Amino acid sequence: MEAIAEQKSIYLQAYEAHSAQVEESEWLRRLHRNGIERFEAQGFPGRTVEAWRKTDLGLVLREHFPPSSGPGSVASNLVEKVGALGQAHRFVFVDGWFDADLSDPGDLPNGLTVVPLSVCEERIPAIMRETLGAYADTATHPFAALNTAFFRDAVMVRVARGVALAQPIVVVHVLTSEADRHAVYPRTLIVAEEASQFSLVEHFVGAEEVFTLNCPVAEIVVQQGANIDYYKVQEEGGGSAHLGVVHAEVARDATAHIHSFACGGKLARTDIYANLIGPGADATLNGLYLTSGRQYCDHHTWVNHKAEHGTTRQLFKGVLQGRSEAVFDGLVKVFEQAQKIDAQQQNRNLLLGKLALAHSNPRLEIHADDVKCSHGSTVGQLDDEALFYLNTRGISLDEAQCMLTLAFANELLKPIRLDALCQYERRLLLQRLPGAEMAGEMS
Amino acid sequence: MALLEIRNLHARIQGVEILKGIDLAIERGETHAIMGPNGSGKSTLAKVLAGDPSYEVTGGEVYFQDRNLLELAPEDRAREGVFLGFQYPVEIPGVSNTYFLKAALNAIRKYRGEKELDAMEFLQLIKERAKSVKLDEALLRRPVNDGFSGGEKKRNEIFQLAMLEPYLAILDETDSGLDIDALRTVAEGVNSLRSEERGFLVITHYQRLLSYIIPDKVHVLLHGRIVKSGGKELAEELEGSGYALFDEAAA
Repeated sequence: MEAIAEQKSIYLQAYEAHSAQVEESEWLRRLHRNGIERFEAQGFPGRTVEAWRKTDLGLVLREHFPPSSGPGSVASNLVEKVGALGQAHRFVFVDGWFDADLSDPGDLPNGLTVVPLSVCEERIPAIMRETLGAYADTATHPFAALNTAFFRDAVMVRVARGVALAQPIVVVHVLTSEADRHAVYPRTLIVAEEASQFSLVEHFVGAEEVFTLNCPVAEIVVQQGANIDYYKVQEEGGGSAHLGVVHAEVARDATAHIHSFACGGKLARTDIYANLIGPGADATLNGLYLTSGRQYCDHHTWVNHKAEHGTTRQLFKGVLQGRSEAVFDGLVKVFEQAQKIDAQQQNRNLLLGKLALAHSNPRLEIHADDVKCSHGSTVGQLDDEALFYLNTRGISLDEAQCMLTLAFANELLKPIRLDALCQYERRLLLQRLPGAEMAGEMS
Repeated sequence: MALLEIRNLHARIQGVEILKGIDLAIERGETHAIMGPNGSGKSTLAKVLAGDPSYEVTGGEVYFQDRNLLELAPEDRAREGVFLGFQYPVEIPGVSNTYFLKAALNAIRKYRGEKELDAMEFLQLIKERAKSVKLDEALLRRPVNDGFSGGEKKRNEIFQLAMLEPYLAILDETDSGLDIDALRTVAEGVNSLRSEERGFLVITHYQRLLSYIIPDKVHVLLHGRIVKSGGKELAEELEGSGYALFDEAAA
């Protein structure tokens, strides 16, 4: 107990020291204070907290991560990654701070507003001020609370009513070696106004050896009839910890496609909340995770059907190598008034390493009586018969394994509607597989 | 030297001996048929020749064009020119037929020191060969065998045979589950691929297939041994008498 009490006070002390130094608007100060109070009220989760039972936070709890105090310098290999997704409205944050030089907003069309908080704190539109922090659950999620207490910069995106963007928005979050043993708190707010349509990618990259606690929170508000594709690509260096939250609020007849791709960090967890609050809301939650060595990767999802005629599709697939470990834990909750909804949830894991371990925990909680819900999970290895079949056609074992693994992952690569991103994730997968030279043109 | 020479081959799976001393020689240009009841070891022989790792070879030798076949990994056997047409072709969701064949063909060509085909050359070849075995072109774009009907799967095997141009084609019960029209199509495909260079080992339970693919030699396999060999008339004889006769002879 003592240790926990001490951990709390370290973060509180850091907060107090920090907030004494910075000048900020009252609304922001209130938001930050609320965050630290919420964190203090709950502390870090112990292993008895159901949602954190499988996640070994030892790595994060053993030491204190003060917030990064400013942007570090970005090494050339990371600069390359910044541009990896091609043509886009690109906004780059380094160790949590907006970097105008690396960013390339391009021509912002009418109806698209992207505001880095640090650039124009005073001029933030009221709608965004009110929305920021309105959804992420700081009361029960300790890392959402920490983020809310400590974020200093943020990217705030608004797409106006009826506007369809031709180009995707790409937000790159870079961790440099100066963020070693520090915490970074990226914060994102996305407001898709009525009947708007666009794609947004959050891309998390980082220096290989640094040990950073990366705690991003994204709040996504999808208003009536809007259509958003949100992609999260998590590939920090192998030493980091990533504890992220994505919260989507989906209104009447709106569509949210959320795709999480995770392959970086030593400990990585993404918690996705999707609230379907209006009739006919539609949400897709897709996840593809690749782990190797001793990586730990975790996806938790909470899908709340709060209105009738909603549809949700969840498909999470893992490719596990080495002695890595992965968790999928998903709850679909159907509220009493949410009749005629259709919710599906699938988790499939492919174990390529004999010592790899996959946990799967799909859950349903149904309070309505006229709904369609299904869930399932599998953990398996590559099919020996299929491998032999490919061998008898002259294809080597490595190539055959690569081909079948790619086929397994393809189900999640195919729905990616940004070609550059699809190719990029595919390359990240192939880099991990022996026998990948031949897989160049597989479709 | 024969195209394929099997000497006193023994093999087992999970500790059970299935092949108990097979001797067989196939010359280039010859088509041999192996007939036998269920459980006689026909499919085991096919899989052992192709290198299925679930079987253990416990004795004997197999030479293929002077190479010790048993020393080669399954993919190298394929690259040397051995082809196995599966009794139950495997479905591979997510891998398109075209892509799969291109990977296979280029792996084989590379092994043989031939130039890999570019996209255009490949496309031309695949269309031409699909036509020659009457394979619906739509199946080329579909995942390998995924959702194919029984007939389509078997035709796809023959199509692969036409693409990969092996020196020895082993066809494991290619006729099983086919109606007479599908059987005829598959047999026509096979016949069009018979040549002086190429040998066939056709494994079947029924004489029916051998009315369409006329073999040079027929062998009767029973309890893991070849109990009788003869010409094509042996197949007709079997049709009349069944395997019981041989069973007694073997006992």
